[in-house]
Formats: sequence, structure tokens, C-alpha cells
Amino acid sequence: MKIRRLKVLAASIIILTAMVLLVVSGIRKTSLRHYSPADLIANADTADAQNIQVDGVISEGSSTWDAANFKLTFAVREREGTETVNVIYEDNLKPDNFNDGGSVYVEGRYDAENNSVVATKVQTKCASKYEGVDSAIDMESYE
Amino acid sequence: MLMQKIVNSIQQVTAELGQAAIWLSVLSAIWGIVALSIGLRRRKPNYLQSGRNALIATFILISVATSTLIFGFVTDDFSLRYVEEVSSAAQPLLYKITALWGKMSGSLLFWLWVLTFCGGIVVWQNRKAKDTLADYALIPIAVVELFFIMLVTGILEGIYNPLERFPNGLVAPDGQGMNPLLQTPSMAFHPPTLYVGWISLTVPFAFAVGSLASGRISSEWILRSRRWTLFSWIVLTIGITLGGHWAYQELGWGGYWAWDPVENVSFLPWLLATAFLHSVMIQEKRSMLKIWNILLITLAFQFTILGTYITRSGIIDSVHAFAQQSDISWYFLGFILVSTAGVIGLVVYRWRRLKSANRLESLLSRESAFVLNNWLLVGLTLIILWGTLWPIVSEAIQDKKAAVPEAFFNQVVIIPGLLLLFLTGAGPIISWRKITPNNFRRMFLSPIFIGLIAAVISWPLIAFSANTAVVPVDEAAVPADEAVLPLDEVVVQVSNDPQVGTETTGNIFADIWNFLTLGEKTIPIYSLLCVFASVFVLVAIFNEFYRGAKLRAKRQTTNFLKGLWQLIQRNKRRYGGYIIHIGIVIVYIGIMGSKGYFQLESKTLQLGDAMTVGNYRFTLLDTYQEKHGNYERLGLIFDVEKNGKHVATMKPARHYYYTTGQGDDNTIESAIHSIGMNDLYIALGDIPSNIRNGGFVNVQIYHNPLIKLVWIGIAAMVIGGLVAIAEKQEFKPRTSTA
Repeated sequence: MKIRRLKVLAASIIILTAMVLLVVSGIRKTSLRHYSPADLIANADTADAQNIQVDGVISEGSSTWDAANFKLTFAVREREGTETVNVIYEDNLKPDNFNDGGSVYVEGRYDAENNSVVATKVQTKCASKYEGVDSAIDMESYE
Repeated sequence: MLMQKIVNSIQQVTAELGQAAIWLSVLSAIWGIVALSIGLRRRKPNYLQSGRNALIATFILISVATSTLIFGFVTDDFSLRYVEEVSSAAQPLLYKITALWGKMSGSLLFWLWVLTFCGGIVVWQNRKAKDTLADYALIPIAVVELFFIMLVTGILEGIYNPLERFPNGLVAPDGQGMNPLLQTPSMAFHPPTLYVGWISLTVPFAFAVGSLASGRISSEWILRSRRWTLFSWIVLTIGITLGGHWAYQELGWGGYWAWDPVENVSFLPWLLATAFLHSVMIQEKRSMLKIWNILLITLAFQFTILGTYITRSGIIDSVHAFAQQSDISWYFLGFILVSTAGVIGLVVYRWRRLKSANRLESLLSRESAFVLNNWLLVGLTLIILWGTLWPIVSEAIQDKKAAVPEAFFNQVVIIPGLLLLFLTGAGPIISWRKITPNNFRRMFLSPIFIGLIAAVISWPLIAFSANTAVVPVDEAAVPADEAVLPLDEVVVQVSNDPQVGTETTGNIFADIWNFLTLGEKTIPIYSLLCVFASVFVLVAIFNEFYRGAKLRAKRQTTNFLKGLWQLIQRNKRRYGGYIIHIGIVIVYIGIMGSKGYFQLESKTLQLGDAMTVGNYRFTLLDTYQEKHGNYERLGLIFDVEKNGKHVATMKPARHYYYTTGQGDDNTIESAIHSIGMNDLYIALGDIPSNIRNGGFVNVQIYHNPLIKLVWIGIAAMVIGGLVAIAEKQEFKPRTSTA
């Protein structure tokens, strides 16, 4: 009886340890530091040549789409600020919902010298989520 | 004109009527809780009846509120804040109605309406019940209803009443409209399906709590809620798939699953419900895992609340925004914490009655297989949850923000996923209590043997399909840039390399090895394991069907097919489950092909240009233009050839919307052409006005092998689920081998 319970216990521990190891190694291998544009500029030295994530809003008027070279360039701006980081996104389609001032989330390699990210992924605000967009009629002014 | 006047005068009062109904439902929900509690405590049947009626009343009241909001949508009542935000006069009628769940307030009302409907059904189902278990279960249902009623009343900071009007009699000239991306049938039905799946899990949870509260601890609560759990599981399966299908068709990135937080939170309750469906069998058959089952269904229920919160609160935009949504976060997290604490309190209170009658007798037994299945499913749930919340966790423990990309999930789920696949076959054939040499020989040998052969045969096939993904030399000069490849798709990088498999060394063995290892010294080990496990499962389960049907045919002296039919008829739950398992295998093969071996080429084209993906050549012939209701369709016409033979004409497009809300003014409309189980998939960038005069258009073409199997496998799972749910006769406890 006792040996059987020990066996069950041992098996459980092995499974648990394996799962924890899986997660830890997965995170160590893939985890990306996350920055806002201002953070990124402030930490340019540590982030240089690293794969990172940056999120903010698409800076107004910054985006250009070079169809001949299949290349999107734009600047991601701090949500409540003016700091911007340039983004280069090549050989990928401009995501839907890519509008000036919209939320954007970028993954890629940071180049501190040019303050730019060569992006592997550019994601706009998820379509089903546009909570918090102000109503045409300004409610605040009535409260 | 008269009609318009009538509508206008009705509009004057509908929202107020709906609001009144919501406020009255506060009272009816509270009365339901109070009356049922008194009735159960003092054994007063008339109080019980009154409490049950209160739940019906809540359903009617919330139906009134929901109807008035739908009326507002259909009649374009832009004096309503919510209608103005998600609808517009030009929106097609279907999307005016589905706008009901377009944003938070309305979707909470819809959520509540479905829950009250479920509550009503529970009352109706148990109208002739001889015990009070259902009455105990109605109390937690009413409590959850009350929570959501409070959310939609609008008295809480951060959420407004969906029937609220603009102040001072203001009426907006038109609404802002729904995001065009959401104006597609699968997106219209994906959220409500998911909600129905989530919400119906409340019922088994309520029965678990009711059972604890009543003190008559048995497996009765599981039997009474079994069909609810299965229903929820089936609907969740459909709902998650609709979401993936929508992403595949509409978003233009050629895939169906990206481990996005929204996807993850819809998947987690499904994993837990799956675990629960398995572990209850152990309780029914062997009287074990009683506490575990209660905790599991509680966890699953809490994840549905968490899912509602995460998908509806907007924190998904960026998971980093948790703190910014503090008000709403606190309502939901508070509810989750308090209700979980309540259940744990009840479990502790009833601890002595919950002790198992039996223990695990061997690590190699069906009980163990079920326990391992549960460990893996719950483990996967926690891993995915951990990854989803990593931005918050990492900030808390490391004081620096970090996040994990898709690659994390792809890496960590693969081993538990393959083990689960193996169990899909091993679980049903291993004997109860303890495996015997005889059981092993009879049940395991042939599936293992055939599985191994299949893996060996498939190796060159896998290598061949990966290696033939060769881009012709002239086009290889502009290969897809390394930087384009997603960081994570390890296998894809291998199969996308144009040079793979084309070099020869002169040494035949080295060449073969080079071929088999995809030219990169990587054995496609996961693919081979997947093939082995899949075939193992198929053989194991076909054996089960075959043996059973043959035996029945012999005993009943009928033919084999009739025997098979009777076999399924007599034990729908078991054989329905097996059909689900076959579906799972098909899905796995589909995922292996489409995630592991897809090919992607990105190019800039002018009219008349061609590009090659895999064995297919795509020539851009012409453009076209079509006018539709609220959008215009602009597209390209591609001629697709294989080995110089025409195989298809594909017409990818973009839709340019005339009126839009906050969304983009145009969307990608991919063209998908299926060849066998494989898909060709074309997505376009903006089509310039000078396209006929040498303008450039950006094109991405995918070859997605075996992707159709994903949808087919899921269809099989749903069919299996329907077979299993058809079984009325509840399980009789048995201890012998099944």
C-alpha cells in the first residue's frame, strides 16, 4: 500500500517538474522584453540588437507604404507622449485596421543607432475591441 | 409615414421599459435566492415554488430588456448611446441585430439573457424532480444572474446601461457603425456561440455547489448536469472553431490560430471542460476524485467569467493595460475570488463526506490514464494561462515587462499535446485497476506495431513534401527574406529554405540521410511522433468498434453493419466519445500539416507577372470591380497552374467600405482554393488605381497542406458529441472492466 502511494507521488512529482521545466525553458528561450517607445529610447543600450516588443499608437502622418518594394514604414509613438520609434516592416501586408492614431503592437529587432525596429510582426488593435473609443456625442461634458 | 410615426412614438418608451425590466429583475433575482433558501431550510414547498418562479420571472424581465434593445437597433434609435456606438442606419439588418454583442454593455446584457434562459430551462427540466438538488443548484445560478444584472444596471462605475439614452434628449444623426471586419457571418455567430458555451457551464458548476450545500454528496449532481456539460463542450468547440475560421478567411494571414490572448481565454474553459468530462467517469465508476471534480468544474466556471472579462473589458488590446481598467477588473476579479472562496469553504465544510472510497491501484490502469489525462489538460491550461498573463506576472516578479510570442505556446504545448494524443487511444483500451499482460497483448500490440510502421513509411513522405518546396532558380534569386519569416516557425524555416534537399554529395547514404533530415540535420521528430500516435489511436479505436460490432453481430445473428449500429445505439456515450477521439486525431494531422509545413511567398506584382509557391505557379491576369450594398469589391484574377496545367482561377480582393465606424475603410478578402485536403490562399495589399498602367500590388500566397482536416476533424468531434449527448440513460456504477 505504502509503496503504491509512493509511486503515485513520484509520478506526480515527475510530471509536475517536467511541466515547470517546459514553461521555464520556453520562457527563457522566447520571452521578449516589452517597452513603450519612451522606455525603449531610454534603454536603448540594453535593447540594441535584441528582439523586443514595443506598443503604442501609430504616429499621425508617419506611415508610408512602398508597394514596389513591399515595405511599410511608420513610427510608433508613446501613448501619452511624443517619443517615437521607427518601424520597418517588409514583405508583409499592412494589417487591417492600420490607421493613424490607432493602437499598434510591434515585435522585432531593435537598432539603437537608427532608433528603428525591423519588425517581424505588426498587429493592430484587435477588431472586436474598440472599447473606450469616445462616442460621437461627448458624454463627459454632461457630467 | 404613419409607420414612422408609430415607430417613433414607441421608441419614446421602449428604452425606459427595458430599464425598468432590468431594475425589476434585481428584485426577482434576490427573491429567488431568498425564497429558495427559506424553502430549503424550512422545507416549505410553496417557498420553493415561489423561488423557481422568480427565476422564470427574471428570464422574462431580461427578455423584455433585450428585446427593447434589439428594437432600438432595428429601428435605428440613435438616442440610445449603445446603438449609436455600434450600429448605423446603413448597416445590413443582420449586423444591426448582431451589434447587440458588439461592445461590452450589450454583450453583458446578452450574456445575462442566455444565463436566465438556462436558469429557466433548469427549472423546467426539474419540474417533476423528487429531490431538492435542482433547487439547491438554482441558488448559485441566481447569484451569478444577480452579479450580471448589477453590471448592466449601469450603477457601477465604468459600465453603462445598454439602454441608456443620451442626456438632454439628444439624438445622434447616425451611428458610428460596426467595424467592417466584424460584418461577416462567422463573426456574427462566433461570439454568441462562445458565450452560450461558457454560460451553460454555469449549470454543472451550480449543481456541484448545490450538491455540496445540500450535504447529500453523491454522483447525482454529475448525472443531472452531464448533458449540460456535454452541450457546453460541443458549443464551445463550435464557437472556438468559428473564431479560427473567421481569422483564416478574413484576416489575411493564412492561419487560424495565433495564441492571441482572446483565443487563449476561449480555449482554457474548453480544456477544463474536457478534463471534467473525463474525470467524472472515474467518480461514476470508481467513486474517486470527488473533490477534484468539484474543484475542476469550479475552475472551469471561473475561467468562463475570466474569459468574459478579458474579451469584453478591452484589456486584450494590450494585456499591459490591466491596471487601466481598474473598476471593471475589480468587479470581475472580486466576483471570481469571492465565489471561489465560497466553494472552497463548502468543500472544507463537507470534507469528511468527500473522501474517496477507492485509491489508485496501479500506475498502469485506466484510472491512471484518466488522471494523467487530467494532469495534462489542467497543466496545459495553466501553461497557457501563464503565457497569456506573463506580461503581468513578469512585471510583478522581475520588475520588468516582458511578453511571450506565439513561439512560446507552440513550443510548450507540443509534448503535452502529443502525450494527450497518445492517451486518446490508450485510455479506452487499457484495463481498469491494473494492466495485465493479456490486456497489453490483446489491445496494445497491433496498434503500436501499425503505428510504428506508419511512422517509418511517412518519414520519406514528410521529407519529400518538405523538400519539394523548392523555389525555381530564377525566382530563388529573390527569396523570401529571412526577416520575414516569423521568429517562431521552426519547421517552416526548414521547409521554406529554397536550397533544402537539392545538393548532392555523391555519397548515396549521405544523400538519403540529408533528404530524410530535411537537409538541416533535423529529424522531424514531432511529426513522426504525431503520425505514430495518430495511427496508434485510430487502430486502437477501430479495434474497439470492430470487436464490439462483430460480437454483437454474432450474438444477435445479424450482419456486421447492423451490429455496429446496435453497438453505438446501446452505448452512445462511449462510442460517441470514440468518434470524438477519431476527430481529435484528424485535427492533429491537420495541425501538423498546416502549422508545420505551410509555404509562404510574398511578392510585388504587376499585371502579367507570375510567382511560384511550392508546385504551383500563379499568373496575375487581370483586375475586376464589383459594387455591393455598403462596399465596393476590387480584386485581382490569378491563373493557377501546376506542371503547366491550369488548375484554378483565384480572385482575391479587397472591400472598400463607404460608411465605416472606427475601423479601417478597407479589408482583405482572401481567395481560398482547396485541392484535396490542401488550400491555396492568396491575400492582397492595397490595389492602386493605376494597376492597369503598371501599378504595383503586394501579394502573399500560402500553400497550407492538410488544413481541411482541421475543419473535418472538428466536425467529427461535434458529431461524436451529439451522439454522446443523445444518451438519456445515465451511467450505472460498475467496477468491472468496461
